[in-house]
Amino acid sequence: MATNQKKLSKSERAQALMRQQQRRERRRNLLVVGSVVLAVLIIAAVLFFVQSKSDTTGKSVTASGTPKNLSGQYDVVIGKSSAPHTIKLYEDLQCPICQEFEKAAGDQVRSAIADGKVKVDYHMVAFLDRESSTNYSSRALNAAMAVLSTAGPQGFLKFHEIAYDNQPAEGSAGVPDSTLVDWAVQAGADKAKVTPLIDGNVYHQWVVNATDQMSKDKVTGTPTIFIDGTEETNLQTGVNAVLQITK
Amino acid sequence: MRQWVGVLARLLVGIVDLVAGLAKFPDPAGNVRQVRAFQILPESVVPTVGHALPTAEIIIGVALILGLLTRLFGVLSALFFIAFIIGISAAWARGLEINCGCFGSHGVPANPQRQYAIDIARDVGLLACSLWLMVWPRTRLALDTLLFPHHERLADGDESEETVEV
Repeated sequence: MATNQKKLSKSERAQALMRQQQRRERRRNLLVVGSVVLAVLIIAAVLFFVQSKSDTTGKSVTASGTPKNLSGQYDVVIGKSSAPHTIKLYEDLQCPICQEFEKAAGDQVRSAIADGKVKVDYHMVAFLDRESSTNYSSRALNAAMAVLSTAGPQGFLKFHEIAYDNQPAEGSAGVPDSTLVDWAVQAGADKAKVTPLIDGNVYHQWVVNATDQMSKDKVTGTPTIFIDGTEETNLQTGVNAVLQITK
Repeated sequence: MRQWVGVLARLLVGIVDLVAGLAKFPDPAGNVRQVRAFQILPESVVPTVGHALPTAEIIIGVALILGLLTRLFGVLSALFFIAFIIGISAAWARGLEINCGCFGSHGVPANPQRQYAIDIARDVGLLACSLWLMVWPRTRLALDTLLFPHHERLADGDESEETVEV
């Protein structure tokens, strides 16, 4: 009887020991999982913070940071108000397909504007900064807005033409501010007025917000062409339609 | 053998996630625009989701490459791919012309229909890899092996280890 009890307690003790061992292991594993999860969450929080802090989208724009001579908040309409057709364009100065569009139709569009056949509602955006090492896309748009502010819509139109004629390749260093100033002067802007606006990138926040507005307008790429309110879904038919109404 | 397939699955999904996350990271505003382009989520959460995406991709990617908490990150990864597949299919069905934004935004593709099909096929493949890791998280060359050296005794679904237990 006594020895039996002893035996039982021995095996019980062994079992208890094993259970204890298992518990200890489980506790240790939980601790490891917990610490790893905590570390991962901290890293995630830091990355998220960096990501959202570096996005200035939607920050309010000061009066001096807002281009002059705009038609709406983020666009400029050029042409006679009596023109029978309206072309609405979303373009990025770094976008090569926009350059193709401008090569195919730009000259004819500009004469049609002058002749009162169309008016063009330019929504310029800059979402291709990553395509150059110097954020050319947004700097070029800033410069275009500097010209619009100091030389008016016709100056902007000329700058727009020069910028597409001399578009730097994607993946390049873009062009320096001094070249943007040269283009601005060629487009009719006063050098003394336009230089600080370009060097200071003063419309940058407006440019960021204008680009965000494009996405809120459900436009996801450039060039996007609307003719009298209807979106052209294909570049070739868009070019043809534009050439048709600007003939 | 199964453990080596797991390594392959980990590296495949992990590297794709990490590359996609790193490509997105420098352009937070672009990520927000990408999320908005799908026209699924309400505007109030669009910026947060846009900013969270690259972070999630980088973390899931690194964790899978290292083999860290493989089952947990396999599950998270699978959920992400399910979300992507739903998002891309919905965009396709509604005829939206968008770039999937998977590796950073580069405007609208020349042939969106074809692009949608390719994107979905890729995501289905990556989803399958993630599910594999969810079911068989024990793999070779994994940090998990160092962190949980006795883990094989807590049955983890791998036959070879269960036989060891017996």
